[in-house]
Amino acid sequence: MTSPAEAGTEAAPQAPPAAPASRSDAPSPRARRSPAELPFTFADAALAAAIGEARGEPAWLRDDRAAAAADFARLPVESSELYTSYVDFRAADLSGARPFLRGADAPAAGADVSLPEGAAGIIELRDDVVVRLALQPDLVARGVVLETLGAAVARDAAGIRDALLGTPLPVDEKLAALSRGFWSQGIHLHVPDGVQIERPILLRWAAGTPERALLGRTIIRLGIDASASVIEDQVAPGPAIACAAGEPVPQALVGATSEVHLAAGASLSFASIQDLPLATTLLHQRAATLGRGATLKLALAQLGGRIVRSRIDNRLMGQGSTVEQVEIVFGGTDQLFDLTSYTRHVGQDTTGNLLSKAVLQQGSRAYIKGLIKIEQTARGTDSFLGEFGMILDPKSRSVTIPSLEIDQPDCKRAAHASSVGPIDPAQLFYLESRGITPDEARKFITLGFLEPVVARVPLESERERLWALLEAKWAQRRVEDAPAA
Amino acid sequence: MTVAREEIVSQEYKYGFHDDVTYLAETKVGLTRQTVVEISGFKAEPDWMLQFRLRAYDHFLARAMPTWIPESVQHLDFSKIVYYRKPSEGEEKSWDDVPEKIKQTFEKLGIPEAERKFLAGVGAQYDSEVVYHSVREELSKIGVVFMGMDQGLREYPEIVKKYFGTVIPPEDNKFAALNSAVWSGGSFVYIPKGVEVPLPLQAYFRINGENTGQFERTLIIADEGSKVHYIEGCTAPIYTTDALHAAVVEVIALPGAQIRYTTIQNWSRDVYNLVTKRAHAHAHSTVEWVDANTGSRATVKYPAIYLRGEGATAEVISVAFAGHGQHQDTGAKAVHLAPNTRSRIVSKSVSKDGGRSTYRGTLKVAPGATGVVASVRCDALLLDEASRSDTYPYIDIQEDDTTMTHEATVGKISADQIFYLMSRGLTENEATNLVVQGFLEIFTKELPMEYAIEFNRLVKMEMEGSLG
Repeated sequence: MTSPAEAGTEAAPQAPPAAPASRSDAPSPRARRSPAELPFTFADAALAAAIGEARGEPAWLRDDRAAAAADFARLPVESSELYTSYVDFRAADLSGARPFLRGADAPAAGADVSLPEGAAGIIELRDDVVVRLALQPDLVARGVVLETLGAAVARDAAGIRDALLGTPLPVDEKLAALSRGFWSQGIHLHVPDGVQIERPILLRWAAGTPERALLGRTIIRLGIDASASVIEDQVAPGPAIACAAGEPVPQALVGATSEVHLAAGASLSFASIQDLPLATTLLHQRAATLGRGATLKLALAQLGGRIVRSRIDNRLMGQGSTVEQVEIVFGGTDQLFDLTSYTRHVGQDTTGNLLSKAVLQQGSRAYIKGLIKIEQTARGTDSFLGEFGMILDPKSRSVTIPSLEIDQPDCKRAAHASSVGPIDPAQLFYLESRGITPDEARKFITLGFLEPVVARVPLESERERLWALLEAKWAQRRVEDAPAA
Repeated sequence: MTVAREEIVSQEYKYGFHDDVTYLAETKVGLTRQTVVEISGFKAEPDWMLQFRLRAYDHFLARAMPTWIPESVQHLDFSKIVYYRKPSEGEEKSWDDVPEKIKQTFEKLGIPEAERKFLAGVGAQYDSEVVYHSVREELSKIGVVFMGMDQGLREYPEIVKKYFGTVIPPEDNKFAALNSAVWSGGSFVYIPKGVEVPLPLQAYFRINGENTGQFERTLIIADEGSKVHYIEGCTAPIYTTDALHAAVVEVIALPGAQIRYTTIQNWSRDVYNLVTKRAHAHAHSTVEWVDANTGSRATVKYPAIYLRGEGATAEVISVAFAGHGQHQDTGAKAVHLAPNTRSRIVSKSVSKDGGRSTYRGTLKVAPGATGVVASVRCDALLLDEASRSDTYPYIDIQEDDTTMTHEATVGKISADQIFYLMSRGLTENEATNLVVQGFLEIFTKELPMEYAIEFNRLVKMEMEGSLG
């Protein structure tokens, strides 16, 4: 960022430049970082090769890692000029974060193999360990596969090479290249042609261990006319670390993907509850390609993390395919949510319905950026993008950039809308007139604003968990806002 | 897609005539430090203005070309442009003194008629200098100043020095830096306290002379409680090589003042129109930009209003028409810096024959600006498959009691509407034209009648070009 000369003038009384001192050394002031500078340096070609080596991977995969590592080195943090000024990694300090080399391919001995109530399957990963794996036996019999990505590669599962090399992840995205090049753990869910799974499958990542970097991938493939519903949980790996007053909490990095391939007529409901520890930087890439008549329903709740940078790429390739996406953010204590959503309409008569809602308090920030792209081939498109914010105090900030790029005039609808406002006084008045206390009324209105995602979580216990998380976040506000005794 | 872009014959530009004028003074082709010094010397400017120009020149060199602007603009060759050219000696006080050649050009543009009908004053810019200027007697009496920027600098040095470059500093962007270095001409308007100007002030701008850059600089100051409507209309002759128009317009509405600034931009299809327009709205003042862009090869223009005082109001109505080979990259900015300020942005664009229109806008509410109410609405019409429309709004809210709404739609003309109109006896052309005029009506209805007629005529011409 600064030239050596400038840096020298800024910190004049400094020891002469020597070999880098160990971190515990010298109280040297932390170097100033540009907002877009990534707060870690471990991801290089040598690490990509070391991971491939440690995992004993086939040559095609090692080559893919090497290519991704090169892409990672080459690409800018933000490839879209629309958004470059909204990248801010300064709050993250990951100089001490060490990546995992090799996640386990199979459950450890004595791992939980029970199914949660109401679920058809579960895989739970904690850092590099598989702590739980179970799938309804009748589904196994019908060819459904739920396994680690390592296991899929090791047994050379049908289609896995195509899925990994033909990933829908965007080629111009540095952080997608990060996961592609340096993943050490992953999930593979495959539902064969014609298989319809009624109960949800849980994919649980326990991550955010301080000073560690967990880079994972999730690959979901649904065959022709297959259907499934999936719940992705991102949770803390254990109880929060207690730190002495004034000591910074050691930070963690989580890199994740969901790479979804939907064949013709396939239908996937995908709900995600992100509640990682607050000292975590989360880099999330979600991408999906939709075949003819396929349907993708995404319901995403962003609650945890210190910095959350997420990018979603939905490609509506097949005629008549549909994406419905709802994302909510409940920000608190200096959290930063940097969320981008690209919806690309390619096939004819496709539908996109995207909604983002953010509630921001306690100095939290949300950058919600969305682009609808209607290609010239995409006649009869119906696309809507809505970005709505509710700011609960003057320390918080909402940036919304709902964009459109339209090359085909023959569309049913191409529109976006955005609004930001405080809690509606009319609603408040109405509830108070019904005998509800002002405080409770505010809570109802705020949590009601976020309700659309809760309603889309397919499992009762998970719905309750999400609701409890939202209530806890609201309660946290009340504690902090209470006048000091 | 199926419409071959090359098959579309570009329509002959209505005002594309070209007079042979003998120029009395001009700089060499290209831009150097010496060019800047020469321009300032031609005009016998005070030293502070020369220093201002040089500071801007340095920044222009240092500043990189923005990467997001239309591609044709990125390839502009600044070394092939004449930056200053003076068509006649001094400024003319009366119409009779205007050189015959130039007068004929204005006759063709209909300026004298327009003046007789309703204009309060005329500042017609012929290339880089104001050649004709008259202000009605009664306006002079009430203290309204309306003159060329160069004359303003000579006659009102204190006011100019106080405000010049305060709304748009040379460092604002590359083209503002360019303008600040080589500016020439433009209007200087000062409305004294409490004065309401009863009729619109009008200025015509034309570019003449192949490869002449036009860098007009306009400064409008409406003192406390005053009111003014300023109109600018642009036409320019056709040339085969690229012409550059990089203007800077600074508008200051002091407490309680009301300013409306109306533009009808119809540059010929080879002009790059890169304009920085910005207003400061102080307490309880109102600023309105009413802006239409139909001509030029590429337009880059986002009229902005900084709401600096409590209770200020901003409105931007912007329409764009992008035809064959054109890119209209326009939009608006409202920056709320004070409590209880209001803004409304309405943008309408029409793209046809492979034209591309882009809305780029910013809405910002700074910390401390409580009780803000803001709305943005963008609608785009795409008339064929070769055309394109983009919308990039930036909405940055840093206050909790802001009320902000934004909406945007893109679509085509509905077959039902056309069918209905044709069933009433209209041809398809007439029906389409009527629908487009209706789409743009929110703009047209804000214009004085003569302008509304002229604008609808322009739209009709554009439409016939696409349908004929």
